[in-house]
Amino acid sequence: MGTAQTQGAPVESPRAVANKSERQHLLKAIRMALSIESPAVRSNTQTFNRNRYRATGLLPDYDVLKDHARQIKARSIANLPQLIAQLEKTVRGRGGHVHLAAGAEEACRYVRDVCVRHGAKLVVKGKSITTEEIRLNHVLEAAGMEVAESDLAEFILQLADEQPSHVIAPAIHYSRERITALFKRKFQTDLPLDTGEELTKFAREILRGKFLHADIGITGANLVAADTGTLMLVESEGNIRMTSLLPPVHIAVVGVEKIIGRRQDMAPFVELLAASGTGQPLTSYTSFLSPPLDDPPFALPGKTHQVREFHLVLIDNGRMRMRDDSVFRETLYCIRCSACLNSCANFQAVGGHAFGGETYSGGIGGSWEAGTSKLENARFSELCTGCSRCVNQCPVRIDIPWLNENLRNRLNGAAETFLASGILTTITGASENDQSAPVSKLFFGNYHWFAEWGTRFAPFSNALARWRPARRAMERWLGLDRRRSLPPFPKRTLVSAANAEPLPRTDEAIAQAVLFADVFTNYGLVQRGLSTLRLLRELGVDVVVSESVPEGRAALSQGLLPTSAGYAQRAASLLDHYLDQDRDVVVIEPSSLAMFRRDARHLLDNPDQFERLRSRCFEPVEYIAKLMEKSGRSPRDFFDLGRSPVGKRVFYHSHCQQKTIGCAAPTEALLRAIGFDVATSSVECCGMAGSFGYKKDFYELSMAVGEDLFEQVRKAEEDGGPRALVASGTSCTEQFHAGMKRQVFHPVELLAAIVRPGGK
Amino acid sequence: MRFRQVAMSGLIDAFEANARGAAATVDRIAGSPAAVRAAVESAVKDSPAIVLGPGEFLPSEIMNALVELPGLVHEPSDEMLSRADAGISSAFAGIASSGSVCVAMGPPLAAAASLLMPLHVVLLCANRIVERPRDLFTPTCLGGEGFGRNLVLITGPSATADMGPLVRGVHGPHQLRIFVLE
Repeated sequence: MGTAQTQGAPVESPRAVANKSERQHLLKAIRMALSIESPAVRSNTQTFNRNRYRATGLLPDYDVLKDHARQIKARSIANLPQLIAQLEKTVRGRGGHVHLAAGAEEACRYVRDVCVRHGAKLVVKGKSITTEEIRLNHVLEAAGMEVAESDLAEFILQLADEQPSHVIAPAIHYSRERITALFKRKFQTDLPLDTGEELTKFAREILRGKFLHADIGITGANLVAADTGTLMLVESEGNIRMTSLLPPVHIAVVGVEKIIGRRQDMAPFVELLAASGTGQPLTSYTSFLSPPLDDPPFALPGKTHQVREFHLVLIDNGRMRMRDDSVFRETLYCIRCSACLNSCANFQAVGGHAFGGETYSGGIGGSWEAGTSKLENARFSELCTGCSRCVNQCPVRIDIPWLNENLRNRLNGAAETFLASGILTTITGASENDQSAPVSKLFFGNYHWFAEWGTRFAPFSNALARWRPARRAMERWLGLDRRRSLPPFPKRTLVSAANAEPLPRTDEAIAQAVLFADVFTNYGLVQRGLSTLRLLRELGVDVVVSESVPEGRAALSQGLLPTSAGYAQRAASLLDHYLDQDRDVVVIEPSSLAMFRRDARHLLDNPDQFERLRSRCFEPVEYIAKLMEKSGRSPRDFFDLGRSPVGKRVFYHSHCQQKTIGCAAPTEALLRAIGFDVATSSVECCGMAGSFGYKKDFYELSMAVGEDLFEQVRKAEEDGGPRALVASGTSCTEQFHAGMKRQVFHPVELLAAIVRPGGK
Repeated sequence: MRFRQVAMSGLIDAFEANARGAAATVDRIAGSPAAVRAAVESAVKDSPAIVLGPGEFLPSEIMNALVELPGLVHEPSDEMLSRADAGISSAFAGIASSGSVCVAMGPPLAAAASLLMPLHVVLLCANRIVERPRDLFTPTCLGGEGFGRNLVLITGPSATADMGPLVRGVHGPHQLRIFVLE
């Protein structure tokens, strides 16, 4: 597995870069992660990721379970104040104690006081990220208690004094070798600790003593039912069972968002959490515990069958404020399964010490950090490229990229306005409300304006884009990395080239369509536009080309929400005109299509307008596959593989957003049906992800992510020799150019080359 | 009636396959006291100290056959619980889709026998196997007797991936042996 070389990267402790309210810390953290933690994170997250796809695939009603789980969470968060009151009553009625803590300090103080009252010397803890959030250990240790973390990952982190890098596997960034080195250093032992078994045995023996002698056990909970006071506790090691059952006092520290109405509402979460998290049907232990226990496993010396003491500490710490925020309320639906972390290409490459803050990490992590600490601490959410691979993985269907785009928007808004930003907003037509955004974001978000002018002045503009002083200036002022080659502006746009095409007869057309001239095709890869046009006409479709307008996807990814909404509205109105003529909309660039199929729901005022657009927009090959299906004829009747300019063997990489909106499978299927020998990539994203990989700050990370894709190509070519590279996304194409220096085809270019004349 | 039998045997097959997938060992045995006694005795033959949990979900004659087991510690102290070698539990339910056994905590030793010893032996009556975890949350499931109790779903031995490769046997049992009583 390749990792990016980072020259002279200083070795920082993760703690030193946990707070990323400053951009420099984020960049340092990325360097640190790429140079130290990347191999372990990559291998472990990718294993979780593969296992999740398998486990969720085995759930026959996966989508129904997700809908059900989301409904339960939505209802619970809506009724949260009532549920808190009900839960308090339930737990007190059972003989337990409840404390609702407004903030971290108050929660820690309460827990400390309970411990002090019991004269506690040793506190044993099960894994609880919520206690990391409130920094409980420091408070207990300052009060003179020993705190023993009993989850093996937390045990490692406690030894190393690091923050968690993953919500369910907090030490996922540690390889076995690094754990061995850590244990040898900290315990000064000569015992052999060179296998997972030896390390586990060593830690188990230390911790067994802690469980048996602890005065207090502290756990979190995955869910709490208001009607019965039942905690759902999910784990594999058995440490949470020990912690909650053995010591005489059990304290559960739980965020208020974990409360649901009824114990029976836990049902859909049991399978969903395990499948989405570790990718197992169930983890080793899922406990349903309604404390205090009246029949504990241990008699306790001299206190036969004493009822255990139980304290439920409910944490607000910003959650009720999140609940009042129409966008960030969804964060509270999160069940902390880690699917959004494991399915994220950037997270796989650097993990949560770079793509994370003091406590929370990954796609959903920014919203948690912003909600429970402050907005600036969510700056690491810049690493969300909006590729959207997490969207279908979330068991409660949180639109995580949308949350991150909103975080970006608020961070943009919190900055001062510079003159250059003001000028850029004015000339590009961006919304005035976005003028406090950094120049770099305004540039990438309004790329269409630069593309339009670049094309007008081609080839002069292309020469300028290759001129070193110009590139240095662009790197300095726009954040555009000079190591990236820029796609050349064409001599003629798609729109003007299409106007020069002969108009075919349309009286026997089998369908009517409009080809949306997206910015990247119109001012960049014009050939794929022309191939699509000719191909559709050859197949008998009456197709016209639209005017080229930005659809707002680029602006959205930079957090320029008002600008993006304006662009989306304009593009939707333009397309409305064609939909009124009963034309289907064909969109080549998958990110533009994703805007119409997914993102625009947040941006268009009229839901009916969105719904009509969503249901009538197609990726070109998806559209062709539909036409073939309707004709009832075999694809081989329409295409002749013998004419393929690249032979039979291809490597197809579908675009991240294309996969999310379900448009990757039709291309693979059609190429195979025609007779191509198709190898496909299994990476979540190529690493370029629109503008992300062009940015100076993220170039190394982008290439490190890309390395997985390049490696898959090399593997696929080991037997039988080279394959033609085929990709549907503009940015994936650029990433292939950068990493493999090879020609890349769009599927429509291959299809246009092998279509039988007249579709016969 | 015939349909029920077919469905039931399908559930047992699925349970067996999935429990094995989770690294438990599964044996189907006859539900007679002698057969259970012989099976359990051979399972715990290397365990000098054995703790027997409550037999709530087993016919009483089976429990009677087990109380004479060699090595069985009667009324174990806390100290004995913490160093015993094997625990024997009766399962409230089995779950076919995940190969889990569901142990009801509450009666003395139920939790301890399923958690503290390196070997956990579970006796599961075949007619207590349900299809999926969610079935346990319907009030009518298994007579509704477990609904609202303290339960734990146990799927294979305790395990961790935190030390690099997957390791079985962490804080909880290292081995899970399930006997399905037909």
